Parts: sequence; structure tokens; C-alpha cells
Amino acid sequence: MIEVQNLSKRYKDNVVLEDINLTIHPGDVIAVIGPSGTGKSTLLRCIDRLETPESGRIIMDGLTVDLAQHHNRKKLIELHKRTGMVFQSWNLFSHKTALQNVMEGLVVVKKLDKTRARELAMAQLANVGLADWANHYPRHLSGGQQQRVAIARVLAMEPELLLFDEPTSALDPELVGEVLETIRLAADRGYTMLLVSHEMSFVQRVANRVIFLENGHIVEDGTPDEVFYHPKSDRLRDFITKIERLQAPEYSI
Amino acid sequence: MGNLFDFKTVFTNIPEILKYFPVTMQLALSAMAASLILGLLLALVKVRQVPVLKTLVNVFISVIRGTPVLVQLYVTYFGIPMFLKYLAYKNGTEYNASAVPPIVFAFIALAINESAYNAETIRAAIQSVDRGQIEAATSLGMTGWQTLTRITLPEAIPVALPNLGNSFISLIKGTSLAFVCAVVDMTAAGKIIGGRKYRYFEVYVSLALIYWVITIVVEQLLKLLEKKIAIPDDSPTVKRDAARLAQDIPVQSSEV
Repeated sequence: MIEVQNLSKRYKDNVVLEDINLTIHPGDVIAVIGPSGTGKSTLLRCIDRLETPESGRIIMDGLTVDLAQHHNRKKLIELHKRTGMVFQSWNLFSHKTALQNVMEGLVVVKKLDKTRARELAMAQLANVGLADWANHYPRHLSGGQQQRVAIARVLAMEPELLLFDEPTSALDPELVGEVLETIRLAADRGYTMLLVSHEMSFVQRVANRVIFLENGHIVEDGTPDEVFYHPKSDRLRDFITKIERLQAPEYSI
Repeated sequence: MGNLFDFKTVFTNIPEILKYFPVTMQLALSAMAASLILGLLLALVKVRQVPVLKTLVNVFISVIRGTPVLVQLYVTYFGIPMFLKYLAYKNGTEYNASAVPPIVFAFIALAINESAYNAETIRAAIQSVDRGQIEAATSLGMTGWQTLTRITLPEAIPVALPNLGNSFISLIKGTSLAFVCAVVDMTAAGKIIGGRKYRYFEVYVSLALIYWVITIVVEQLLKLLEKKIAIPDDSPTVKRDAARLAQDIPVQSSEV
């Protein structure tokens, strides 16, 4: 079980997250939805401690990290090892091939020897359907392929918690499908994940829990069915209606 | 009048001058190596915005870039022995200024001068590295040092290389000022030869030719190096397809 406690983050006067508490059970696939600028990405980035919050703690099995503190490098590295982040803009290492990208963490962080790391990395690339592209540099891959390599890179580290920060937002529409399929496969393999996404139909299929975040607060937290079809708050109802209107087919009579 | 310009002497001078080629290159290469290390350290202080040190580094770079190399060579040549003498006097020991080979002073002055310029080049290159990749490395669990050596520097070096190459070329030519520190390098040797034969102009032409050729060679080497560390333009698939086309093997449109 992973617990996030009292997480608050603000940029100067702008409060982005206010006293967020979140309990994540093993195997949970939690989707975080909400209007833009409500701190969805910031929530993920604070949990992975890429952003320093004003206050907040994360408690994992045998590890408690005060996220607001600066002087606990060892604990932060431990936290980074046990969580994995997939970024909106892929962030592959551009001077390394797809295979080297996946091997990097295994060799440098997990200290595996190169042959073993290569085997594991090739297996991960095969899992995302890119075994034939192992020797390609990121610049020779499409956006969708790059994101799949990024997912393979994170899965190779076998993190306890996977964080997806709008993984398909920077992709051409035709490439979104392959990435979502890769994420779904990871979810099927039992990974615990927190997913920020605007792909509402995908979220409904994959997530077992949906969180609606607004103005730095968790407004609703429930099953996809509860959140999408029986919203309790006006604000969520409003949000869902707007999205449905967007996704509804256009009629002309 | 007899022989205004002795064309032959220009070329007969060259082998004599080249005897001092190792001195010039030794000075240039060692000063470059030291300036890269020092420059990287200065750049890191600026990138990381280390308090206090950052201000010191800014003052250092400003002073070094704001004074001529010639002056810096004089300052080190006369200043360091004075300082050592003072230390010896303070500790009550003897100090022999001539025990230090003059090339050491030239090396120190050139390395320090070069490091100020390299620091700015390296800083700009480091800051050009995409922040996202550094975040990805951090997120994988790499330490700051691992991120620097495995991700940031490999990415920054290709960016910095053309400028560093430029400054290496000007450093090679800068070594010609080392004669003021009593170092006999190619230029100093040329002056001596000129004095002996009373043919100064010819010897300067020989020197010009030698420096020019060295620079051309270094430029070519840098070009090769740049090409070697760059990410290839063509993807492996494109290369394979090109090879197949050349051998008349049909190319499949896509292989996923």
C-alpha cells in the first residue's frame, strides 16, 4: 500500500495542490481527471519528487519520505527507484539508441551486468512491439514509438508505482492507439499506476478508480461508473457534460 | 641590391623550427586539458548557482577575459616566483626561483586564460541540454553525478565541440607568446634563427606557414571527431534499404 499524505504545493500565491491525501492499493489503476491547470501533472511530479512541494509525505512499504525536505538524498533516490514516470514529451535520451535507453537504468541504477541488462531490455522492447527497432536512435522513431520505448524503459525497472503524465497528449491522433494499448498491457500485468489522461473512454476501460481533481482538491474519488455516470458534485457533472459534448458525434439534419 | 627575399631560406628554416614543435604542442595540449577540467568546474558552479562561489567565478572570468594574455603571462612569470619567495621567507626556508622550468609558468597562464573562455562555452552547452532528459534520469533513480556523466555531458559535448575546437586553435597560436616566459617554443626558436642569419622576414614567413598547416590539420581532426560523435542522420532502416537498393534487392515499404 502506498500513502500520500498532506501534499501541498504552490507557486508563489498560486495554490496548485492543497492538503492532498491519497491511498493507493497494490494493483490499483487510478485515473486522475480534471480541468487543465488543476494540478494533475503537479500531483504526479510531486509524488516522483521532480517538484518539491511545501509539505507532504509518501509512505511506501518500509520507506517514508518527507517530500518537502531537501537533505535526504538517499531516500529520494530510493523513492525514484521505486516509482517510474512516463512523461508527456517522452524524454528519451537522444544520444542513446532505443536499446541503450532501456538498458541505462538497469546498468547504472540497478548495477546489472551488461549482458543481463541487454536481455532484459530486449524482452521489454519486445513487449512493447519494438524489438526490431532496438538500434534506432529516438530521432529515427515516431512519437508513438518513442513513447513505447519510454514505457519499456520504465517497466524494465519494475517500479512499485507507475506514473503516467498525459502520455498521449503530445502524439498525433493516429499514434495514440498504440501507446494506449501498451499502457493497457502494463495494467493487465498488474502494475499499480496513476494515470493523468484526457482519453476518457480509455480511462473508463482501464481504470478501476477515478479521481476528479479541481483547484488542488480531490473533489470525487470512486469507480469509473460512479464518477462518469453518477457524479455527485455539480462541478464534476459540468466537466463530464462538457467532455461528452466534445466526444458526441456531430449531427446534421 | 642583392637578395631582398631569400625564398629558399623560408623552407630551409622549417626543419630547424620544427625541432621545437613538441614544445609548442606539449604546451598547447597540456594547457587545453587543464583548461577543460577547470572550465568544467567553473561551468558547474555557474549552472548549479552555488552561492558565494558563483560570485567568485564571475569575478574570475571577468578579470581573465578583461586582460590580455600577454599581461597574464607576465603576471604569472613574475608574480608566482615572488609569491613563492615570500612564502619561503615566511617559513624561513630557501627558495630557488630558477628551479622551476619556465614552461610551467606559461602552462599556468595559458590554462587559466583558456579556462575562462571554455567555462562559458561549457556552461552554454550544459544549459542547452533538454531538461526533460535530466528529469527522466533523475526519475530512473540516477544520482546527480551519474546524470552528469551519463546524460548531461554526452549530450553537451557535441554542442560545445565546435567552440572548444576554435579555442584550441587560438590556444595553439597563443603559445607563440610563451617566449615572454623564457620558453623556447617554435616562435622563440624562429627569432633565434632569424637573429643568427639576419633573415627575420623569411623566418616569420616560415612560422606563418607552419602554424597555418598545424591549424588545417587540427581543423580536419575536429571535423572527423564531430562526425564521429554525432547521431547518424539516417536510421538503420534507411541505411539497410539503401544497401538493398544498391544490390537490386526489393525494399519492403515498412517492417514493424
